[in-house]
Amino acid sequence: MKKKRLPSFVLNFSCLLIYVFLLAPIIVVLLSSLTTTEYIVFPPEGLTFRWYAELLEHPEFIHSLLLSILVAFLTAIIATAIGTLASLAIVRYEFKGKEAIVQLVGSPLLIPSVVFGVALLQFYSWIGLAASPLALVIGHIILTVPFVVRLVVASLVGFDRSIEQAALNLGAGPFKVFLQITLPIIKSGIIAGAIFAFITSFDDLTVALFIVSTDVVTLPVRIYTYMQYQYDPIITSISSIMILFTIVLMIIIERVLGVGKIFSSKNQ
Amino acid sequence: MSYLKIENLVKTYNKTEVVKKLSLEIKKGELMSFLGPSGCGKTTTLNMIAGFLDVDGGKIEVDNESVQHLPPNKREMGMVFQNYALFPHMTVFDNVAYGLKLRKVTKVEIKRRVQEVLEMVRLSGFEKRYPKELSGGQQQRVSLARALVIKPKVLLLDEPLSNLDAKLRQQMREEIVEIQKELGITTIFVTHDQEEALAISDRIAVMFEGRIEQVDTPADIYNHPETDFVSQFIGEVNRVRGKVLEVYENNKCKLFFYGSEQIVSIHSKQNSEIDFFIRPEKIQILTSPSNKGDEIKTIVERKMFLGPKTRYFLKIEDNHIVADISNTMINPNDIHQGSNVFAIWKPEDLLPSRKGR
Ligand SMILES: Nc1ncnc2c1ncn2[C@@H]1O[C@H](COP(=O)(O)OP(=O)(O)OP(=O)(O)O)[C@@H](O)[C@H]1O
Ligand SMILES: [Mg+2]
Repeated sequence: MKKKRLPSFVLNFSCLLIYVFLLAPIIVVLLSSLTTTEYIVFPPEGLTFRWYAELLEHPEFIHSLLLSILVAFLTAIIATAIGTLASLAIVRYEFKGKEAIVQLVGSPLLIPSVVFGVALLQFYSWIGLAASPLALVIGHIILTVPFVVRLVVASLVGFDRSIEQAALNLGAGPFKVFLQITLPIIKSGIIAGAIFAFITSFDDLTVALFIVSTDVVTLPVRIYTYMQYQYDPIITSISSIMILFTIVLMIIIERVLGVGKIFSSKNQ
Repeated sequence: MSYLKIENLVKTYNKTEVVKKLSLEIKKGELMSFLGPSGCGKTTTLNMIAGFLDVDGGKIEVDNESVQHLPPNKREMGMVFQNYALFPHMTVFDNVAYGLKLRKVTKVEIKRRVQEVLEMVRLSGFEKRYPKELSGGQQQRVSLARALVIKPKVLLLDEPLSNLDAKLRQQMREEIVEIQKELGITTIFVTHDQEEALAISDRIAVMFEGRIEQVDTPADIYNHPETDFVSQFIGEVNRVRGKVLEVYENNKCKLFFYGSEQIVSIHSKQNSEIDFFIRPEKIQILTSPSNKGDEIKTIVERKMFLGPKTRYFLKIEDNHIVADISNTMINPNDIHQGSNVFAIWKPEDLLPSRKGR
């Protein structure tokens, strides 16, 4: 029996549909932040940047944005370091309790984040850790290490270790081999992990809700609480800034590190 | 005299010895092949020499200095891997220059030496390519250049050609020998291809189950195998059985082979049975009996045309042997399936089996 190929416009059309479905909410937010009305509406009525100017009247939004960036940044760096080292251990060494550690590292992905938030709150009050950027960072590290491990393990599996032996053989010490050979080769997995960690932390609401206090409020929590009392386009303007920030960040990473295929399944 | 000296080398995995008290001496500038079936411990031995594996016993000396306690990065050995193991994120130039950069060689000198070695492996002009932009043979050349450029004390090659097609293998192995001789570099070449080993080696170490069975020149390995394993592993052999009829002085016996009698130089007892190996190309075929009485009556079961020669499958009593006959000696059209022919061999071409004597 001959298999008939679908005409290519079917594929193109379904891709288009999926893109529209994925991107529509973002575009709605971006556009409705430009409305002249006092309330959020789509399509926007008129065009103005007024709601961006209004943000300056609300320095707490800017503070929260900066806090979120700081927390996400620290989370990404620490979680990536921990996750990368854990991945190396998991993939390359046999040791007692390895299976348990693999499960433990993956478990935050299985636990609903509300449950995790409650647990964290309990734990922090038990050890006497007050709400602070540090408390947030620790929580987010636990939340994001599994992503990093997933991605770095994927880039380590199938890594040909004779490449490292070749470098050793040419006279490089183990540390040099790691920096000059191993790291560059698994770079894309690590960067992808860092980006995931950053974004997960940056837009975490559920866990942060349990940890924040009046003077330590991340942006998602700020938007959420603000929305409970008011529903004006300031929400959409700050959300748009969040979106644009993420996009700019991705572009910078792409440009600086020159890794076009970070999220592609194949290494190199 | 010997440059690389291995003494009683042992490697144990989970209580099984995979390298068993292996000793070997290699002269400076010599090309030594490790030849043996899969799993006999060739790679394990090579990795111990390179330092990737710790030894569980024994000594490794290079130029009279023991190296078995040095980490691999301090041993100054050049290794070429089966799968090339090029650095995928570096260009050809950077791959080859890597070892020199670690040695803090000046930029100008690096450039000169990399170009020199790339010329040697005929890859000038490929400096800016990445490994994935090269063919298998080219990658293998880069890998060779990368190992050679640091002027290693010993060059180690682990089945370097096994991923290449037959034609390229032959061409590459000649290039490797040429370079090896030109540089006079002491080399170990691991292979399980006997033709390759016979073609390129100064000496061959035939390995089996973690031991070296015989170390000799290719001709001696082929013509004077010292163990049954070597006889059967190198080249092809037939097994024939003879019975001792009479024992003479000076280690000679009269033997009875399938209806014929021959005097063979061997030490044995009356009436004992001895197994011999004989290579297919050492067997001659006659279409009519000679008058010396040393021919053996056989039936042609099958024949196979192989270009310059023809392989005849012969039945002798209930034994089967093969004979390779040059087509210029006998026209294959003269011999048919089912014909009666006579096989003869020279007594000195019989390789006595060590077992069951
Ligand atoms: N890490 C290991 N753990 C346990 N056994 C091993 C290990 N590495 C190798 N072996 C065993 O040691 C023996 C020798 O292996 P080695 O790789 O040296 O063989 P080889 O001669 O190179 O074979 P091939 O021609 O297939 O490459 C084999 O029986 C193999 O199963
Ligand atoms: Mg091997």
